Amino acid sequence: MKKIQLFALLSVAALLITACQSAATPASGSANAATGDAPEVCATDSFGCAVFKPGEVVKIGMGAPMTGGDASYGIDISQGGFIAVENFGELNGFKFELIAEDDQGTAEGGAAVANKFASDPAVVAVAGHIYSGATSAAMPVYEKVGIPMLSPSASLPALTTMGSAVFNRIVFTDSRQGPPAAEYLFNTIGARKLAVLHDGSDYGKGLAEAVAAHFTELGGEVVITEAITKGETDYTPVLSAVAAKNPDALYFGGYTAEGAVIVNQMKQTGLENAAFFGDDGTYGEDFLARTGANGEGAFATIAPIPAESPEKAAFDARYLEKYGKKAGTLSPYTWNGYDSTAALISAVKSVAVLGDNGNLYVPRGALVAAVRNLKDYKGIGGTYTCDSTGECNTLPPMFVVVKDGAWVPAP
Amino acid sequence: MKITSIQNAIHKNGKVHEVLRPLLGAALAVFLIYRLYIVLVVQHEYGPETWTRLLIAGLIIGSVYALIAIGYTLVYGILFMINFAHGEVMMLGAFSCFFVFEAFKAIQVSTDPPQSFSNAYPVLAVLIAFVIGMTVSALMGYLLERIAYRPLRKAPRLVPLISAIGASIFLQNAAQLLFSPQLRDVPNPEVLTRGSGWALMINGSKVIIPYTGVFTFVLSLTLLATLYLVVQKTKLGRAMRAVALDKTTAALMGIDVDKTISLTFIISGALAGAAGVMWGIHNGLVYYYVGFIPGIKAFTAAVLGGIGNLPGAMLGGLFMGVIESVGPAALGLDFQLKDVIAFALLIIVLIFRPSGLLGEKLAEEKL
Repeated sequence: MKKIQLFALLSVAALLITACQSAATPASGSANAATGDAPEVCATDSFGCAVFKPGEVVKIGMGAPMTGGDASYGIDISQGGFIAVENFGELNGFKFELIAEDDQGTAEGGAAVANKFASDPAVVAVAGHIYSGATSAAMPVYEKVGIPMLSPSASLPALTTMGSAVFNRIVFTDSRQGPPAAEYLFNTIGARKLAVLHDGSDYGKGLAEAVAAHFTELGGEVVITEAITKGETDYTPVLSAVAAKNPDALYFGGYTAEGAVIVNQMKQTGLENAAFFGDDGTYGEDFLARTGANGEGAFATIAPIPAESPEKAAFDARYLEKYGKKAGTLSPYTWNGYDSTAALISAVKSVAVLGDNGNLYVPRGALVAAVRNLKDYKGIGGTYTCDSTGECNTLPPMFVVVKDGAWVPAP
Repeated sequence: MKITSIQNAIHKNGKVHEVLRPLLGAALAVFLIYRLYIVLVVQHEYGPETWTRLLIAGLIIGSVYALIAIGYTLVYGILFMINFAHGEVMMLGAFSCFFVFEAFKAIQVSTDPPQSFSNAYPVLAVLIAFVIGMTVSALMGYLLERIAYRPLRKAPRLVPLISAIGASIFLQNAAQLLFSPQLRDVPNPEVLTRGSGWALMINGSKVIIPYTGVFTFVLSLTLLATLYLVVQKTKLGRAMRAVALDKTTAALMGIDVDKTISLTFIISGALAGAAGVMWGIHNGLVYYYVGFIPGIKAFTAAVLGGIGNLPGAMLGGLFMGVIESVGPAALGLDFQLKDVIAFALLIIVLIFRPSGLLGEKLAEEKL
């Protein structure tokens, strides 16, 4: 009996403590023009200001797949971002921090992470999300609270056509990835009969449809289009059906987890003579590790590897030192992660105001505008200027192929 | 008013099934024949080589389902409860396989040229993986029974069921915390490389029967046959059957009921462990959630074959695997619908044979 009483007492105490904590947070971090001697800009800003007392941390969020079969993308891109914070993350004594939260690359996860960031008054901008599905679910949440996004890798074309004020990206769009892939398949590889598979995600399906449409325009024949279920480890039935159509090549719109399984099972299902053509989601070291010898000759598209520059050399050296890996082996987007985080930090710096009381004020509405108006920002991957829809990229993707167990530029 | 009177009339005569079943059966038969006609005769998309490939894939995955399904059926037969944590027991087997192979890959043997242990002695490596995987899973089956089910044996039937679901979630999350949520690749010995196998020329196309698949299939059938002999021919099997029939009377006859139930869980755990190791060797990807879907499928297979019936579970497992793999192609449907086809099949079988394909009257009596 006593035990029960003690337990009840403890749980009440625990409840009280958590209640106090949640009551305390908004007071310290948030809020707006109403507080004392805030600068004028906060009173006029449409979303008000994020206020930081001395010693508090300015947070940049990132929603990324940190676990599961595609974790290499989230881990790699956030690692790029951490280095950007190391280099630039300080303003008048206020420290910046990158918070990478796991959205598992799914729409549900994206919305959950977005709500978490939106309810944290210290988060001023989001370098993400990483996957298009998660991004489109997260956008409306940030739209409401005025948190600008600068995605390093969400390439779904529709993302910038929805009239969002907060979404921007420094990656190419799939409309620059799909048609060139179809041309490469038709002209360089010489495929005439193409099988198209996708994983049903916004990104994979959109890309697969774009490739199929363009391939048909070029005069090729799309012999079969099939959707697969994400997260399975046996695709031999669907691949057998694909093999029955004798395609010259198989295009897959999707990510590493499923792409690697497909490549492994192509030989045993009669597709040993068909080329595997993936996308910017099937690149990386994990793909090589999982496919081994079966992966030889597999294609992928990636963001172009940045030209050599002192900044890139410094970044690569730091990455190797900090994470023990060569930059760019886990995913094609670690430099984009760096650039997007650094660009956001510079935008925050451009609008932030230091109050007379020592507090730092970040006007949210002005920050949204500052990111959209990013102009001639020099990053490792190039010089970024955002247009009115939020496209800040300039360079088209490039093609790579697996040769002797490594990704090399495709001929 | 009219409708209710018809319903009443039907119910009064107890003829609801006699009216609906033939109608439903006829509709289904027409649909199936129509789809098969379209696919096989009109479209004629797939040659014999494709059907062979689909069948091979189905039999391999089916034999894994069968092994797991046996565990559900054994436990149901003796305790009349569904052990929903059974899929997680299989997941532990798959993780054991991963860790064993990973360790053997790291150990170098001084052969000429030096190579890893798993490449030098593949048979031994696989054998040890099975021994460890089955031991771990058997132990987990035993612990599950001791901790989650035995204290609730006298409770109403729903209570152990909830406890089983709780145990399932607990094990999944524990595995996620212990082993991290990342996907792991099982490094097979070189001779068992995934995708290599015997080549068969059918219709001018190379059909590969993967080594790992044949291995899985043969081992699964061997284990199932052994289990059948154990249950039918040994003293332990007799005790299990006696406990299944009537616990009190069995106890009066000098059978240690608790021990028999524990042994049942140990056996079903070991079989799930073997299924997990096979999964690791054949499919090669292991993570904390890997047991859940096969667990649900195997449970379905057990119900399909007639739960409580050993050959039924085996037949149900193979049937489920083949339907899942061949079904979408045979009906000309999207391959994403394979689960829909498999579960629709379950509903249909239960409408026409509520006690499953090989189910005896026994199943109804027990309920």
